[in-house]
Order: sequence, then C-alpha cells, then structure tokens
Amino acid sequence: MSKSNLEWQQDSTQNQKPPLSLQNVYVNYGTRKGNVQAVRGVTLDLYAGESLALIGESGSGKTTLGLSIVRLLASTAKVEPGTIIYRRDQREVDVLKLSTSELRQFRWRDCAMVFQSALNAFNPVLRVWDQVLDTAQAHGWSDRTAVRERFLDLLKFVQLDPTRVINAYPHELSGGMRQRTLLAISLLLEPQILILDEPTTALDILTQRTIIGLLRRLKEEQHFTMIFISHDLAIAAELADRVATMYAGRIVEIGKTYDLFYQPRHPYTLGLIRAVPTVLGGFEELFSIPGSPPDLVNLPSGCKFHPRCSFATDKCKQQEPELEEVGERHFTACWHWQDVEKELELHPIRRGAAKHDALAQTTVEVR
Amino acid sequence: MATTLSTSPISVFPLAKKQSWARSFLNSYLARKVLKTLFTVFVVTTLTFFLVHLLPGNPIEQMVNQLVTVQGISPKDARDQVAALFAIDINQPLYLQYFEYLGKTFRGDLGNSMLSQGTTVSSIILKFLPWTIFSVGIGLLLSFTIGMGLGMLMAYRRDSWIDHVLTVFASIFSSIPDYLIGLMLIVWLGIQWKLVPIGAMRGSLSPGVVPGLNWTFISDAFFHGALPIGTYFITTIGRWMLSMKSSTISTLGEDYVTVARARGLKDSRITTAYVGRNASLPLFTQLAISIGFVVGGSFLIETIFVYQGIGASLGGAIARRDYTLMQGIFLVITLSVVFANFFADLLYSWIDPRIKLGSQS
Repeated sequence: MSKSNLEWQQDSTQNQKPPLSLQNVYVNYGTRKGNVQAVRGVTLDLYAGESLALIGESGSGKTTLGLSIVRLLASTAKVEPGTIIYRRDQREVDVLKLSTSELRQFRWRDCAMVFQSALNAFNPVLRVWDQVLDTAQAHGWSDRTAVRERFLDLLKFVQLDPTRVINAYPHELSGGMRQRTLLAISLLLEPQILILDEPTTALDILTQRTIIGLLRRLKEEQHFTMIFISHDLAIAAELADRVATMYAGRIVEIGKTYDLFYQPRHPYTLGLIRAVPTVLGGFEELFSIPGSPPDLVNLPSGCKFHPRCSFATDKCKQQEPELEEVGERHFTACWHWQDVEKELELHPIRRGAAKHDALAQTTVEVR
Repeated sequence: MATTLSTSPISVFPLAKKQSWARSFLNSYLARKVLKTLFTVFVVTTLTFFLVHLLPGNPIEQMVNQLVTVQGISPKDARDQVAALFAIDINQPLYLQYFEYLGKTFRGDLGNSMLSQGTTVSSIILKFLPWTIFSVGIGLLLSFTIGMGLGMLMAYRRDSWIDHVLTVFASIFSSIPDYLIGLMLIVWLGIQWKLVPIGAMRGSLSPGVVPGLNWTFISDAFFHGALPIGTYFITTIGRWMLSMKSSTISTLGEDYVTVARARGLKDSRITTAYVGRNASLPLFTQLAISIGFVVGGSFLIETIFVYQGIGASLGGAIARRDYTLMQGIFLVITLSVVFANFFADLLYSWIDPRIKLGSQS
C-alpha cells in the first residue's frame, strides 16, 4: 500500500518486463454437448501503464480470457495448457499455479476486476462500507480510519457524495452510482492491473460519459495498467493504447489503436468498424457481418472466420493463419491481409466513422 | 487520487423529510406490521366467538339441553349455569354478548372450564402452553439451524455422495407425517430396541421436580421433552435442508458472490455473510408458517407421547367436549401463528435491509 502506482510503473519500465504475460492460454469448458473451446492459444503481453482493449462479438472469448487471469472461471472450465505470468517488483509468479491463499491475495490487490452488470455486484444485505471494510480486511488492512479516509477520497474521485454512499445499502444506489462505487472499491488497494469487463454496458449515455471520463483520468493521471473488455468500439477507441480483436477464442488482430481502427488488416476488424453506426450519418455505409459467431463446440476448419468472410478462399478453409506482423507492433492472423489493405485503399474508412462519431457517444453492440 | 471534483449529490432518500409525523408513522414498517397484527388478532377473536355460537348444533344450546335432560335442572337454571361457564350472558342479544366477550378476552378472561369446575381456561392455558412453546421452539430451532447448515453443505458439495445421501434422507423425512414419526419412535426406540424408557418419559416433568433455574429441572425438562422435540426435529429438518440447498445454489450463482471472490475475501466470510445470509432469507418466511403448523400439529404429537402441553390439552378438551377450553385453546393456537408471523416479519426486516425501503414507496 506504500508505493504509488506511478512508482510501480517506473519499476516495471526499468525491468522492461511486462507485468502480465499470457503464453499460449487455452480455456475449455466441459459441457454435455461437448468441449467448448472458449479461448484457444492466446499469447499477449500487457505493458506497464498501458491500456489494452479486447473487442469482439459476444461469445468471442473476451470475458473468459479476463476471468481466467483472476481465475474466476466456472468450475467446469479448464485452463490448460498455458501460463499467465504476473510480475510486480521482483516477484514473478504463474497465476495458474498459485495456491488458494496466494490467489486470494493476488486478487484485487494485484489485479482487480470490475465486472459487467455492477447492478448485482454488491451484497444486498450489507452496507457499502461493510463491503469495503471486508475487502480491506481480507488483505490484512484493518485500520478502519485509514480505510475510511482512503475510500471517501476514492468516492470523491468517482464524483459521488462520499458520506451518503458509504452508509448506503446497495439498493439505495442507482446503476451508475453502483458502477462508480465498484470502480472506487477496485482502486482501494491500488492494484497494479485493472480489468474492466464491459464497464459501461447497461448504463445510459450520460452515465457512460462519466465513467469513460473517470477511466480516462485513471489512465492519463494515474497511469493504470488496464484491460478493457468491450464490444463497444467507442470505449476502445477512446481509452485504449492498443486494441486486440478476438474471434472464436483467438486474437485475430492486435495493434496500436490508431492502426487498428484506420488500417485494419483483418476482415473481421474491418467488419466490426464498418458496423458502427453514426449518429447523424446516413445508413448507406452501414454494414453488418453476415452469419453468426461460430459454434465453439464444432469450430469450422481452417480460419474460423472463413464462413463469414468475403475474402475467403480455399486456403482459408484448410489452414488456420497465425499472427503475422503487418506493420509496427501490428499483427494480423489472415491469409489475405494484403487484399484487405487494397480494399481499404479503394473504400477507405470514412474518417471519423470509428473514432469521432464514436466520440459522439455512439454505442453499438455488434451482433 | 485526492483531487476534489464538484460532487453531484444524488438524493438517496428523496421522500424522507417532507412527510408529516402521522404519515411517516403509518408508513413505517413496524407501525404497519403492528396494526396489521392487531387487526388479525381482532378478526381471529371474533371468528372464534362466532364459530362457537353459529356452528350447527350450538354448543351452548346443547349444553343447556344436556343439563335439562340429564341432570333434570330447570331450563332457566341450566341457562344460568351455562352462562356462568362461558362467562357470557346468553340471554342478551348476540351483539352485546360479543362485546362482552371481546372485553373479557381483552382482559385475559376466557371463562371457566366446563368440566374442571372452578378452574379458569386462562389458568389451564398458562399451565400447559409453556411446555408446547418449549418443545416446539427447541425442536424447530434445532432443525432450522442444523437444516440450514446441512443444506449449505449439500449445495457446496453438489453432486457428491454426501449431497445424494442427505437429499434422500431429507426427502424421506419431509414426506412422512409427524404422527407416524412419533409412533415409529415409540415402537422402535421404546418398545422393540428398548433404547429409551418410554414409560418414564411420559408427562412434561417427573413427579417432585419443581420448575426453577437449576440443572435438575432443565435436564428433566429435556428428558421428558426429548421425544416430541425429536419428532418436530425430524419432521421439519428435511424441508429446511432442501430449501436451503436450492436457495444456496441460486445464491452461489449471484454476481456479488463472484465479485466477493474477485475481491479476495476469505471463503469463511463469503460463506457466512455473502452466501449464507442471502440464501437464508426466504427460509425465515417459511419458519413463521412452520411454527403455526407445528403448534397446531402438536395436538397429535403430544397425545401420542402423553406430553402435557397445549396440544394434549386440546385433545382432552375435544374428547370431553369442553367447549370453553377448546375455544380458549383455538384462540391461543391461532394467536401463536399470528404472532409468529409478526416476529418473522420483524426478523426479516432486520436481516434484509431492502424490506424497509418498501415502506417509503
């Protein structure tokens, strides 16, 4: 609790080692219908102070990947093979090999996850303060006054009336207030990594603005290392340094935010961007990806996107492409990324279609 | 993090201040519950009165006829005698009788027993009721707490052998009627295996033991109460286990449990304050209903074990047609259900803060 986040970040940059490294992570769910391959070989480095957005349709494995980092998957899920290396200070651990008590300490103090649907994130029979104190005490911080002061500051930071919220029961708070309260609790122990799963879904557009504004401040002023999981491209465009597109449990494209949104090299990313409607723009350019996400039990052969892809050839049906460097720190898993590039030269993404109109508070769920 | 920003205070209790005292009193949860309970008591008392008076074969007229034909008393004397027994003047119009009855009941005067001359119904009830409260209370308290614990265990160890075994037992226990369990205890424990001295366990206390705060009395009370308590325990525990199991399973799937795990809370804290407390909420309502059923059902159990509680007294009163005593005991049994519900409601509002909100909307 003694070091500020910035110091952590400096430590990490000196070491040049990313705080979180996922190596070839697979997640399988055993179900009656068969083996659901939710995540298939994700390799990813998260650098200190960086914010990374995971985008993709529902069922593409984003949330499963996020949950596997804090090991909160359902008991039917198996994370193997793969390693999730976490580094803080000189410590380096494989999250998947932590014992129960080590895992308990790792959660929230090192890596906090803010969940989708904060509406139900609080125990309805305990006051907000009791739940905050529970969190602090679970990590050996039992100085009530200090915890209280810290939390009151955090409530001010998330722009809530501190004295009211701290003594309230969860049902006395609105959805947006609960989301902000949860955000405040997630900062309580100054975690090194913050995972935000759909932080703005189910909130009205103005509340979304507030949350996005807060997250932006966390990123710019506190230099938090964050992972956003979202199907809302606007958040990704606004908050992320890097964006990773997931499809059928794999990262199919990853790159710097600007590159990914203006020079996508994967047909799926391109499809997602073109499917974002604009507030005032007509619908002429609006485009939807045909078909539906693949059945994760019986995945198609070759590239998993080929049944829905307009660039697909016979090669795509037979061989699954690996990530390939297509630009500076920009990787794509597509046999035809050059065709995508040519297509973009012919029909460039209308400037602002992804970013500025997204800034104009457009939210779309791509389905 | 200490940056101050213009806070936007969103009113959490918008209605709290503007209400007048009377309205807020009427809107308060406790006041509404008290009023509702008093109203129920009033209705119950009224019903008990009219049941005795309006049933086909009016017991008062029957009593008068009986006295006239059997003992050869003149009808007028018979009516006076009966009136004295019921503690009402049967020559008055019904509505006046009713008001007199209400007034007397309010003061705790339930009339005299028709058969044990000179003893008031109230004194009989006061003598026997504590034993029923004791046996039913202990039995339900044990089955409720142990049943909840086992139910949670079953939910946490879902689909393990312990879950399957306990589920089978819970289903069996909750489906056998209480009087059969009582008879089985007597036949097996008392007669066939001779594990307990059935004869010595009759009654609610051994002769010569005086109620008081001493070990002799307490152990003797438990010795005599063991079989009724055991029966209440066995017949009710299955339901608690099954309810708690399903309730726990659904609570375990709640987001706040996952978030609590993500926050790194200790399992013990999550099990008690997050899962257990929320999962047990629906069981408290069931407990109130259950208390009513068990007090009513004590009629058979206490008769089987010859345990001198209010149920056995009711059995005796029915067998000997002691109408005044029956009327009094019916009233007490119904009131026990009403008050059990009242306390369950209070308890519920205490453990579930969301209930209080209902009073403001």
